[in-house]
Amino acid sequence: MIETKHIDFYYGAFHALKDVSIRIEPHTVTAFIGPSGCGKSTFLRLFNRMNDLIDGVRLTGECIVDGVNIYNKSVQVDDLRKKVGMVFQKPNPFPKSIFENVAYGLRVNDVQNKAFITQRVEESLKSAALWEEVKDKLKKSAFELSGGQQQRLCIARALAVSPSILLMDEPASALDPISTSKIEELIHVLKQEYTIVIVTHNMQQAARVSDRTGFFMLGELVEYSDTKKMFLNPEKVETQNYITGRFG
Amino acid sequence: MNKRKKQRIAFAIFRLLSLVVVGILLWILGFIIYRGAGTISWEFLTSAPTDGMTGGGILPAIVGTLCLVAGSVLFAFPVGLMSGIYMNEYAGNGFVVKFIRVMTNNLGGIPSIVFGLFGMALFVNTFGFGDSIIAGSFTLGLLILPLIIRTTEEALKAIPQSFRSGSLALGASRFQTIVRVTLPMAFPNIVTGLILSIGRVSGETAPILFTVAAYFLPRLPHSIFDQVMALPYHLYVVATSGTDIEASRPIAYGTALTLIVIVLLMNLLAGLLRRYFGGKVKTD
Ligand SMILES: Nc1ncnc2c1ncn2[C@@H]1O[C@H](COP(=O)(O)OP(=O)(O)OP(=O)(O)O)[C@@H](O)[C@H]1O
Ligand SMILES: [Mg+2]
Repeated sequence: MIETKHIDFYYGAFHALKDVSIRIEPHTVTAFIGPSGCGKSTFLRLFNRMNDLIDGVRLTGECIVDGVNIYNKSVQVDDLRKKVGMVFQKPNPFPKSIFENVAYGLRVNDVQNKAFITQRVEESLKSAALWEEVKDKLKKSAFELSGGQQQRLCIARALAVSPSILLMDEPASALDPISTSKIEELIHVLKQEYTIVIVTHNMQQAARVSDRTGFFMLGELVEYSDTKKMFLNPEKVETQNYITGRFG
Repeated sequence: MNKRKKQRIAFAIFRLLSLVVVGILLWILGFIIYRGAGTISWEFLTSAPTDGMTGGGILPAIVGTLCLVAGSVLFAFPVGLMSGIYMNEYAGNGFVVKFIRVMTNNLGGIPSIVFGLFGMALFVNTFGFGDSIIAGSFTLGLLILPLIIRTTEEALKAIPQSFRSGSLALGASRFQTIVRVTLPMAFPNIVTGLILSIGRVSGETAPILFTVAAYFLPRLPHSIFDQVMALPYHLYVVATSGTDIEASRPIAYGTALTLIVIVLLMNLLAGLLRRYFGGKVKTD
């Protein structure tokens, strides 16, 4: 479970997130929507502390994952990232073989058992609905895959380390419609096992894949509710305007 | 004048100039080959100079130069690589790093004879190595250090951030990310820096003048504390201050040709290395 309490986040002097509090239940898909630059990616990156890599950022408030404030000194960031996987907007496989891409997370986490790695790679590729397409060319470079396949490879790579939460930042925005629907189907299946948080610009996508939706604007979480309710009967007029296309 | 005509003229000038440059290079190369090829023989490459350096071969100088290349690269490559990695991947962009970067660049602009003088003061005298392979290697190593640091930094900078994020997001440490992802990707370009430094090391005379190079020493070194002859210095000696300059002229050209071929061979080797690592990055 993820919970944030009164998060304020700054890039230098720029106030990027304003008093954001949210609760995300396990085994649900939560979508974040909102106009460009409103802070969706910034908020998502809080959950696996990827914002730590940026110079001059500041955070106040609490971000709790499975009962622990992940910004506590005692939290090891690599352990956190094992638990909270991430898929990026642009597919970013490593310049290694398909197999090694998926095995990477295991290897860097000191898994040495070859049989186990082989098994995990196969399971992960199956979970990412890529196994059938690549099982005969696991030794080939990941760069030989299509963009959509690369993105599913990145999903498999994230799944291999057995996370419980999967963050996806516009995972389909660089993909064609067929690859996109494959990713969406995948999200439906993965939700049985994982808690998924997805950022998307595509309102239909949010409506199709998510259980709950959060609408951000100018760093504020304007509205957060069940996806159905959000799209049929939003409470706030800003949300109404945004989803009907009168803004953004 | 219309823009197409302008472009045609501009490109014609560019082409002419590049042809002139290539022509001059080929001319130099051809001249050295023409004058030097006759001297090159198995005998020449495998024996020591004789008759006041008007006869015999240049084996000690070849071995000396190879030792100096190996020694300086062995010292400067790891140090330069690690500094470059540190500066690009760890150190951020604070005052200290900026200062180091400026100093490194300045170091690269210092005339090589100054390095020679410094090397003599530090390695030969203070450390008490005497005129030796080790003193010469350290001096040459310092000379190429800025180049290696610089190319390492540039090569790492060219790797898109997304690969680092991808690795870190899987729970890899920054060090693992460097060793397993960033460095292998940057390696082909780092090797390019290495190639350039090898060329530089094999050709420099000034830094070895006071630190290692022997005027005449017709035997092979036994340890890193021995003096050696070196090709560029030998070339200088036989061309300007030998016992009989006219008589040793063919030897000068033979030496020049050998030096060029050695540098080309090393570039080839480094190129293969680059290809090997580059290939590995793509498919493995
Ligand atoms: N590294 C950074 N340094 C400074 N400001 C940043 C940085 N990253 C993002 N910002 C700013 O923070 C705000 C939120 O950015 P963020 O990337 O979270 O937006 P977003 O909602 O994901 O937008 P998009 O839909 O375009 O991806 C933007 O105004 C942006 O300019
Ligand atoms: Mg974004």
